Amino acid sequence: MIVEIGHYALALALGVSVIQAVVPFWGVFRQDRTLASVGSSAALVSFGLVALSFAALVTSYVRSDFSVANVVANSHSAQPLIYKFTSVWGNHEGSMLLWVLILTLFGALVALSRRSLPPRLRAGALAAQGLVAAAFLAFTLLTSNPFQRLVPVPAEGQDLNPILQDLGLAIHPPLLYVGYVGFSITYAFAVAALIDGRIDAMWARAVRPWTLLAWTFLTLGIAMGSYWAYYELGWGGWWFWDPVENASFMPWLAGTALIHSTVVMEKRDALKVWTILLAILTFSLSLLGTFIVRSGVLTSVHSFATDPARGLFILFILIFFVGGSLALFAWRAPLLRQGGLFAPVSRESALVVNNVFLATACATVFVGTLYPLLLEMITGDKISVGAPFYNATFVPVMVPLLLLLPIGQSLAWKRGDLLGAGQRNAFAFGLAVLAALALLFFMRGGPVMAPLAVGLGVFLVLGAGFDLGERIVARASGWRAMLSRARGLPRSAWGTALAHAGIGLSIIGIAAQAWSSEAIAVLKPGERLTSGRYTIVLEGMSPRTGPNFRAEVARFQLFAGERELAPVEASKRVYTARAMPTTEAGIRTDGLSQAYVSLGEAQDSGVAVRLYDKPLILLIWIGSLVMALGGGLSLTDRRFRLAAPKRAAPAAAVQPAE
Amino acid sequence: MTIAQPTRPLPAKRRFTRKQRRLTLIAGAGAVLCLAAGLVLFAMRDTIVFFYGPTEITEKGVQPGTRMRLGGLVEAGSVQRGGDQRVSFAVTDGKSSIKVGYDGLLPDLFREGQGVVTEGVFEGAGRFKADSVLAKHDETYMPREVADTLKKQGHWQPGGAGAPATTPANP
Amino acid sequence: MMIWAIFAAMTGAAVFALLWPLSHGRAQGFADVADARSLYRAQLKEIDRDLARKLIGDEEAQAARTEAARRLLRAAGDEAGPAGETEPSLRRRRASSALMLSVVPLLALLIYGLYGSPGQPDQPLAARLENAGPQQDFGLVLARMEAHLAANPGDAKGWSLLAPIYLRQGRYDEAAKAFAAAVRSGKPDPELYAGLGEARIMEAGGVVTAAAREALAESVKLDPKSPRARYYLALAKEQDGDGEGAQAALAQLLAEAPAGADWVGAVQARLERMQADAGRKTIAALPEAERQQAIKAMVDGLAERLSAGGGSLPEWTRLIRARVVLGDKPAALQAVKTARKRLAGDKDALAAINGLADELALKEAAP
Repeated sequence: MIVEIGHYALALALGVSVIQAVVPFWGVFRQDRTLASVGSSAALVSFGLVALSFAALVTSYVRSDFSVANVVANSHSAQPLIYKFTSVWGNHEGSMLLWVLILTLFGALVALSRRSLPPRLRAGALAAQGLVAAAFLAFTLLTSNPFQRLVPVPAEGQDLNPILQDLGLAIHPPLLYVGYVGFSITYAFAVAALIDGRIDAMWARAVRPWTLLAWTFLTLGIAMGSYWAYYELGWGGWWFWDPVENASFMPWLAGTALIHSTVVMEKRDALKVWTILLAILTFSLSLLGTFIVRSGVLTSVHSFATDPARGLFILFILIFFVGGSLALFAWRAPLLRQGGLFAPVSRESALVVNNVFLATACATVFVGTLYPLLLEMITGDKISVGAPFYNATFVPVMVPLLLLLPIGQSLAWKRGDLLGAGQRNAFAFGLAVLAALALLFFMRGGPVMAPLAVGLGVFLVLGAGFDLGERIVARASGWRAMLSRARGLPRSAWGTALAHAGIGLSIIGIAAQAWSSEAIAVLKPGERLTSGRYTIVLEGMSPRTGPNFRAEVARFQLFAGERELAPVEASKRVYTARAMPTTEAGIRTDGLSQAYVSLGEAQDSGVAVRLYDKPLILLIWIGSLVMALGGGLSLTDRRFRLAAPKRAAPAAAVQPAE
Repeated sequence: MTIAQPTRPLPAKRRFTRKQRRLTLIAGAGAVLCLAAGLVLFAMRDTIVFFYGPTEITEKGVQPGTRMRLGGLVEAGSVQRGGDQRVSFAVTDGKSSIKVGYDGLLPDLFREGQGVVTEGVFEGAGRFKADSVLAKHDETYMPREVADTLKKQGHWQPGGAGAPATTPANP
Repeated sequence: MMIWAIFAAMTGAAVFALLWPLSHGRAQGFADVADARSLYRAQLKEIDRDLARKLIGDEEAQAARTEAARRLLRAAGDEAGPAGETEPSLRRRRASSALMLSVVPLLALLIYGLYGSPGQPDQPLAARLENAGPQQDFGLVLARMEAHLAANPGDAKGWSLLAPIYLRQGRYDEAAKAFAAAVRSGKPDPELYAGLGEARIMEAGGVVTAAAREALAESVKLDPKSPRARYYLALAKEQDGDGEGAQAALAQLLAEAPAGADWVGAVQARLERMQADAGRKTIAALPEAERQQAIKAMVDGLAERLSAGGGSLPEWTRLIRARVVLGDKPAALQAVKTARKRLAGDKDALAAINGLADELALKEAAP
């Protein structure tokens, strides 16, 4: 009965979303606040219903209710509880339900954030959001229903795809979806602003926290997915420029540009039209990503099992929302009052440069991802676009952007002082150049570009640090004053510095991979293999039995030079239900570097072993975490809560003295 | 950081440049875009690899030394392991087959009679030197290119491909 | 019935929550001026705070205040007047209530009606295992057994029950493991060893592997009469190229077979196939004339045996075809007639013989 209640709740949520899409719009058009306020309650109700539905599906999974087709296809009674739980979104249907859940959760949050939003804008945004929710609810119910039942009821499930039975992948999709779906809010706000025909700094303030939230989670989701691919796929790679990865990377690039352009809009009341367009494009790219992952039009290592009907449906959703919003944009954008102008050398100009480069970089990824599809449609030739393409296009676009970043960051609003900004960063730049030269000297004969890239990373980290330091130190006397200034600095300033430093850290980590090394050999117990700084000695192989798999585990002693590190184990697993083998890499973290061991096939002459030395690789993900932390910190900046219409008068009295 | 700073009325002389500034901005953005477009076109020439099936290689007259992806089924009984990590196998689409040499570990789901995609250099005379062998995360997966190629050659029924297993006698 | 009551309650609650703001909201327009005003106040406060912290200078603060004030004026410029409770607003409210009352339940019922299965109860695995009665389905028993063995891997009896089931289901890999587990933890049993050998052979696609042979040898050691093990060992001999040895072993197995053993037919068939294969090989080596002779002799032998009694459909078919190939049409016709008589009880076989006769154009006077 729980299953059917969940199913019915989902169907009911569709009806409520339709109401959420229609009635508030009407209210906005007719200047009727009562009708507009229906949006809030509809958003809350539809979230409640979808949450009920999701809970029902989770219950079915946890109780191994094999009368539900989706549970049979993706779960097994012997799975550990945690994977029964995460199997819910380890498949197309369940993950769609999660997607809709997050979508309606965001709608509910917008409905609840009564204070900081002008009611008209909120009503319009909730209506647009309701339309998106209705489209995806219909998609889920009509083509990807997770509540389909089976008769007769099978005795056992087919298990979740073994490589998805992993904690990293368990939390990767929710993070990613919060990112993707978070941009739907920005999109909804943009549509609301276009319909309303006006947009100002208040709009930018209203949108910024949502953009930051989405961006922060998208950053975490991408980093998590990358780390998962690194340790689970067993090839030691962490980014493959795979269409599915690009699908999440494009909204990230566009979202990054959006964060920066909303700042310009908030501070300078400029760049309005562009910001609106960017908000629309960012969510359009999220939708495109959904289409790519779920329709199977592009070959990827990790797309879902595909079905042409679903692809068509999503294509329809994509065309409707992208085309519809762009048409609305073309119609209404000229009505928006143009913003102010600004001096060529100023923070806002630097942010415009940032937007130009990010949008261009995003465009190169877009071309690389979709060109194969286009070519196949036209000529029938099949091609693949891989890392060399992006190294030749994406990287050259990003490098000047990153080089200019610390300078732009230290420019003042309105009228900046280029010379001053240059001088302020000269020290950081000098140190970065020194670092690059030192690396070139010590790693003679190695790659040339890598030390330069490390230098760039160092420049970013130091630039962010110095910029922050200067604001604390300048015009202050004594450490007490400095401390109070440090505390007085808005959190968004800290967030900005952290996010920029995070990029620097990631770049250092990426560049350091030029010095990684790899060795393959067939080992017998007692034999050794050396790669880079690390040496392993095979101690022996032993079988092991897990809850739903059998494994052949190889145990190695690990040495870094003369120093012995903790032993490392790598294994080959066979998951019984699907008789599917997987490789579990053995990874030992040594400082920021890692030794990475993966097993090949066992042969008569021993077992094939691959050993990698991955110097500083953890920096890639630490950098991403720092970026996300910066985003989170900016999010808590109290100024976002300032545009609070209802609270303003009484708040004046109780404003805490800081 | 402060929220808003004054917009001083611009002197008449500078207001005159409003249009110019906007044009400069657009020109700058255009320049970056053109540069990127140039890079993309340049990269398209050199970095893109085509995907072929074994039959297409002969039909299209692929030149030896071309970098490409080759996809098809691993021919049953063709996998040979040499010393070290050297592996050779044949990729077939049922009509013709290409012999592939590869140094390295094969992916978990590499099996005879299953779909495979390899990337490397065509050496001519039906030989291919692979530097990577790709498999899918899923055991029921058939790479789309492979499926298309096989469909073209009439060897594909959705729902199950590969040679039928020999049925053993059972008393 | 219960479930429909729940659905009705859910629908009612959802629609009620939607209607709530319509009945409780005071009719009012959008007061964007008020919003802009409060934003203005907030901005002024922030400017003061920044000023107090010396983040900005006096002059900058003054300018910022001016800019904020300008924004306020701009917002006030395009104010939309608040609307009171008017006739059209009442009508709008009624219309949207009607929309909610109709769209939500109708859409939900339509979609759920198409895809839902209201009659099907939940069937969590634990409850199913507990409640399974005598008519419980086979899969569940299996699942229960597997769960039991996963917890008690030392239960040889359980493994020896499970293994043949796997074997029959074609899950050879698991069958081999189950047999191995049974052998490992129980008393040595020739049947189990033979099963292990068989599972390994099936797993290898019919090839008698070294591991399989080991198990079979163990089985024969424990019980020299074990028919299954001996049968597969004979196949192993054939696989090794010792065709005669294999035939001899099978023949001996047949000779020693207890009356009514159900495996006799299968062994017999295999033996004949071996003999036929061997015959073909020998005959192929003979010179042309002698070959014809030899073949004729073989066919005559077969005819003799068949006319003496018994004979299955395939044997008759073989004889008829052989006669036609040798150009001896009358003999073929004769064979067809005899076959019809012998197989009179079996409709399918009769049809097959008639079909064959048509195919080979064996015309005869109507019987």
